[in-house]
Amino acid sequence: MQNIALIRLQMNHLVTQARQDIHSLSVMDDSSDNSQTLQRLWDTVSSMHFLSEMLANQAMMAGYYFSTVPAPALPAQPGTAAQPGVPPVTPLPNQTLPPPGDLTLTLQELENYDGKNGRPAYVAVGGVVYDVTNNRAWAAATHFGLVAGKDYTAEFASCHAGQEAILATLPIVGRLA
Amino acid sequence: MKKAVLPPDSLTNEAIAARLTNAADENLKKGLINKRNLVYLELNGCSGNIISLLNGQNPSFEYTLNSLVDLRYSNSLMAAEGEQASEKLMAVLDEDFILAVEGAVALKNNGLYNVIGSLDGQPLTGLQAATTLGERASHILAVGACATHGGVSAAKPNPSESVSLQQVLTDREIIKLPGCPVNPDWFLGTLAHLLLYGEPETDNLGRPLMFYSTLIHDRCPRRPFFDRGIFAEKLGDKTCLFKLGCRGPVTRTDCPTRQWNGHVNWPIGDDTPCIGCSQFGFPDAMAPFISFDTTRVVKDE
Repeated sequence: MQNIALIRLQMNHLVTQARQDIHSLSVMDDSSDNSQTLQRLWDTVSSMHFLSEMLANQAMMAGYYFSTVPAPALPAQPGTAAQPGVPPVTPLPNQTLPPPGDLTLTLQELENYDGKNGRPAYVAVGGVVYDVTNNRAWAAATHFGLVAGKDYTAEFASCHAGQEAILATLPIVGRLA
Repeated sequence: MKKAVLPPDSLTNEAIAARLTNAADENLKKGLINKRNLVYLELNGCSGNIISLLNGQNPSFEYTLNSLVDLRYSNSLMAAEGEQASEKLMAVLDEDFILAVEGAVALKNNGLYNVIGSLDGQPLTGLQAATTLGERASHILAVGACATHGGVSAAKPNPSESVSLQQVLTDREIIKLPGCPVNPDWFLGTLAHLLLYGEPETDNLGRPLMFYSTLIHDRCPRRPFFDRGIFAEKLGDKTCLFKLGCRGPVTRTDCPTRQWNGHVNWPIGDDTPCIGCSQFGFPDAMAPFISFDTTRVVKDE
């Protein structure tokens, strides 16, 4: 449970930062500096929100972990606390999925991955299936009138000719059968 | 000696605008700048852009009307009506003028789906006005979504067969100011740039870079939430609205910093997603404007 120790450390740093900023705000009169401090306070709270969501996720996962793998008694690791720069690792929610890139889908199966009702959003171009769930140009699993879960080889060729680099940025989930 | 603009001169928007307008006023008085004619046509649309223009600040709408240009025709604002107004429009043809057009051009029945006046007892169609004036204007500004790419007027099923201004003036260079409506600053700023320094630098779609160069997503105050994968589940949530269908990641405007209604607020600032009103293809290509089925998990669909 090294993750939880790290998250706790980060959370404590953020709380200290927030208290310091609140103190600064209470003693400062200059309104021009206030906006900077407020912005930092806002960012700090955003980070705390993120960490608490992650903690909640881990708490929900804990049952899963404990039932499958008996948690080994962790010896105290003196090095852990001294590495605040290490980014926390988000646990994968779907442990049952095959490793990315190994999925083989028919066109009909692809249609299930439409990004709705909590499902991921996949699209196919040139026989390769890509994950666009969190791609910024695919808000709500739609993209300029196109919906996820379909083969868009022709559409890609007509709108993004010569822009194959776009595909290289997308995570590959597998291939079309 | 000319006083340099350095602190302690105030650098607020109002102070800068005041210095610019005073300088322009002085140059006008000395005859160094000449006021130019502006013709503002309203074709197949909702007049939303000229209403948005009334909201202009620094320079204000009154300043635009009194000092920036000689507004020769605007069917919403001029006193003349009927044939008299049309005659005023035609009188500009032999002079130098800048043409601003809002609304799409309706092509159906030779343009009869959009009649903007009458001339010599005949209906004057938007199509006629756009082609006649478009051929003679020194500069052309397409204002708003309908004029730049068809917009709402050309949305499916497009009963009036509306098209963008560029499609009827294929050989003219047009500065395009998309937006539904256009922000008053985008129009007034482009117009002022045209008068003071000539045509502004534009991107490959004809949009002035000074207003349309940055993705909303890249200046969004909620960007940290996107980067961390924290998404709003309903309207009113203070986090990233991406899963609800926010079009900020595909729309290029300066809304996050400029804001609206006198630089007060903007959609995302009020917890509602960007609908991509300034993106080419709006509204059809930006639909659906809001989706809840991406965030809400239903057990039995």
